[in-house]
Amino acid sequence: MYNFPKNLFTDVRIERHSFMDFSIKDGEATRSGKYDENGAFIKIFDGEMQYTTCTNDLQNIQREIDNLAALAKENKDIYSDPVIKNFGDSKAEILKYDGDEDIRKISPEQAEALVRGYIDSCYDSRVTEIKSCCAGYSAQHTIKEYYSSKGASVKQDMQRCKVYMSFDFSVKDTPSSVWKTLQGMTFDSLLNREKEITLERDRYLDYARNAVDVAPGEYTCVLAPSVTALFTHESFGHKSESDYMMNDKTLQQEWEMGKKVGSEKVTICDNGLLDNNGYVPFDDEGNRAEATYLIKNGVLTGRLHDSKSATALGEKVTGNSRSQSYEYSPMVRMTNTFMEKGSDSPEDIIKGVKDGIYVYGVNYGTGCGTFTMQPYLCYRIRDGKIAEPVRVNVITGSVFKALFDIDAVGDDFEIFDAFTCGKGGQTVHVSTGGATIRVKSLTVN
Amino acid sequence: MREKFIYKARNSTVKIEENKITAFEKKDLDDYSYRVLRDGYVGAYYCREKIDDDEGYRRAEENLRFKRPYKFELETGVRYRDQTEKVLTDSELMALAKEALEHINNKHPEYILSGSLSVCRTKQGQVNDKGLDLWNSDCTVNSGFSFKHKDSKDIFDGYFGLGQRDFKPGKLYDMTENFLGNYSTRADVPGEIIVQMPYYGLLDMLYGCLNGENIALGTSLLSGRIGEKIFSEDFTLLHDVSDGEAWHTRFFDREGVTLPGDKLAYIENGVLLRGYADKKTAEKYGIEHTGSAYCSFNDIPENGFVNLRIKQSGRTVKELLDGRLSVVPVAYGGGGFNEKGDYTMPVRLAYLSDGERFLERLPEFTLVSNMFDMFGKDFIGVGSDYPIFNDKSVLVRLKTSVQ
Repeated sequence: MYNFPKNLFTDVRIERHSFMDFSIKDGEATRSGKYDENGAFIKIFDGEMQYTTCTNDLQNIQREIDNLAALAKENKDIYSDPVIKNFGDSKAEILKYDGDEDIRKISPEQAEALVRGYIDSCYDSRVTEIKSCCAGYSAQHTIKEYYSSKGASVKQDMQRCKVYMSFDFSVKDTPSSVWKTLQGMTFDSLLNREKEITLERDRYLDYARNAVDVAPGEYTCVLAPSVTALFTHESFGHKSESDYMMNDKTLQQEWEMGKKVGSEKVTICDNGLLDNNGYVPFDDEGNRAEATYLIKNGVLTGRLHDSKSATALGEKVTGNSRSQSYEYSPMVRMTNTFMEKGSDSPEDIIKGVKDGIYVYGVNYGTGCGTFTMQPYLCYRIRDGKIAEPVRVNVITGSVFKALFDIDAVGDDFEIFDAFTCGKGGQTVHVSTGGATIRVKSLTVN
Repeated sequence: MREKFIYKARNSTVKIEENKITAFEKKDLDDYSYRVLRDGYVGAYYCREKIDDDEGYRRAEENLRFKRPYKFELETGVRYRDQTEKVLTDSELMALAKEALEHINNKHPEYILSGSLSVCRTKQGQVNDKGLDLWNSDCTVNSGFSFKHKDSKDIFDGYFGLGQRDFKPGKLYDMTENFLGNYSTRADVPGEIIVQMPYYGLLDMLYGCLNGENIALGTSLLSGRIGEKIFSEDFTLLHDVSDGEAWHTRFFDREGVTLPGDKLAYIENGVLLRGYADKKTAEKYGIEHTGSAYCSFNDIPENGFVNLRIKQSGRTVKELLDGRLSVVPVAYGGGGFNEKGDYTMPVRLAYLSDGERFLERLPEFTLVSNMFDMFGKDFIGVGSDYPIFNDKSVLVRLKTSVQ
């Protein structure tokens, strides 16, 4: 296919994206259109340095390969390099979304009808506190090809679509907004879900009307499944990305395999093979994704790797080398990451809290030794019952402590697809999952 | 009528991973938006690959079928602005990266650094059948590093970065010395906190509040307050695309509108003057048009192109501090403003400073305030000089909460 230069490792990633957007704000179309974008990322590695470029000119990939090769130093032993040994050499074609469910077949008229249907069902003009309403549909279909001088030849596809609505309120002269995104892998998965939006709208309106400021302090927190999902991603998921610790003896000792890092109730897994937002059957180094258990019953059992980090730490690759798009070099990233469900009922978990906070929803979070979550909707728990809504600005905790503080894990497990993750200037699609959990103490502001 | 947007980006990047140069990356990408306006609609065709202009406009014409409404007259005018001061070649960039890394590794062997040095060149244009011909070019060298002490159990401890049109390695070394040389010292969080920081993150809430549509709909905390004194006498906020630290911006909005002096005040001496509006928003709500359109290359203009800057005082940071010490947050995130304008921000890493140099490192804490206090009674000013970050610094009194 390509004339790969001798004594250098070369790989080529070709991506073909198709996008569609349609949105309406206060009755007027604000977005409407489809477009395609094709590009390629080319990399040459000589054992010391990697040289990369990207192009939208798919006819001239060979020229780009030759230009990069001129910068690199020939290395006769390149295929003995342990990092190169860890690159994939599979031949595979996994096209799951080129049949009836291919979202490229959705017409602009179908997208518009979907959005208008949601507005008709979910916008209630009788609620005078709603000042503005926006709804939209967006979809992305991607075909990725990966070829390397090791012989890898992989072609795979992925698609995702979503419908979203946002409401701007003014309640007692205080403006605020809430939005709800429904995301799936097929157009049909977005149908007939109006109730999820109206429930969120009404729940938030009740919050906007009645919330009181929380008194800052340490609280027992019960996290709803979507919050557990984000907590899992931020509190521990990022620490499992091992490109942070390749030559870092302190972190290698801190996160030694077999070490107890959390409560026995905690089991966390990353799996790029699941049909969710982080689905990547082969990663951007041609390696097959797999289920990687990061923590099992509170004990550290695994971490996420690309070829380089696996080599540095003497562990096996896990298929977690991912990039945002053909414009970027891949790095170690999560895919579909979740805390496994437990056996407690959510009702019993709340009953066990005399005075605490129920965190229903969060906007975003950050993940370092101290992780953060910014909630948009919380309730006070009093004597085992959910009480008044409270306004919480940020929740923080130490990952080294919080995982031990989990004393209940619910049986109401869900995976949430409407997530993206930022790291090193790149945003990738991920999903996160979890059930209702109780954390003995988190800092609430 | 026909119009075309052009965005060209040329980037060369040297990547540094755990104190070693590991990669050299090239990125040359062009974006084009061809637009045909007819009968109150615009057809837009976005592409990245270079195509013949006639073909681009033909495809845009086909996309009139999407019926994106746009009824406004196209603008006219000719102007070229080139902010380029110096362009490093790839070999000069690599030599700079090697020299910088060697310097930092020798001076601070106890730190693990990852990041990059890059040369970024952009050229942005907008042309149309009425003779509009606007172009803005820029070139910067950007360096950015996350750092971690070798004994730290966190995945990283902090970060610093420097962007300059004419890159001075000495400034980067000075910054490195300030951040890393003072990391191992310790001090307590002072009783009075005067925060010193680049202020862009603090303007997030104001960006939403100043949206003319939000003001008109009653969904802004500033609704009904135009003409009122809402902040400190010393607080003036402008859209300013002449600003020296506005890298890779444009002097025109995506409706081809330019402003006198490339500036427009929204808040002057604490008084709210106006909200921002593109042509459609201005007409819909009967408000002033402020040349504030941004636009997806695939769609119609929307309201939102503003480059907010707080007017600098005539005094240096040190003069504004008047003998007091400042607190400089370096690694922070996860918080922000709530719907009432209350601000809460967990700070992972901050230093005590005399305004020009770091003195000692502080423990983790959480900052709290409110937008009206922050830019009102607690606002001290923006220094006339550029210490610590090689960028403008605001001084504002904030409080701390539980951590």
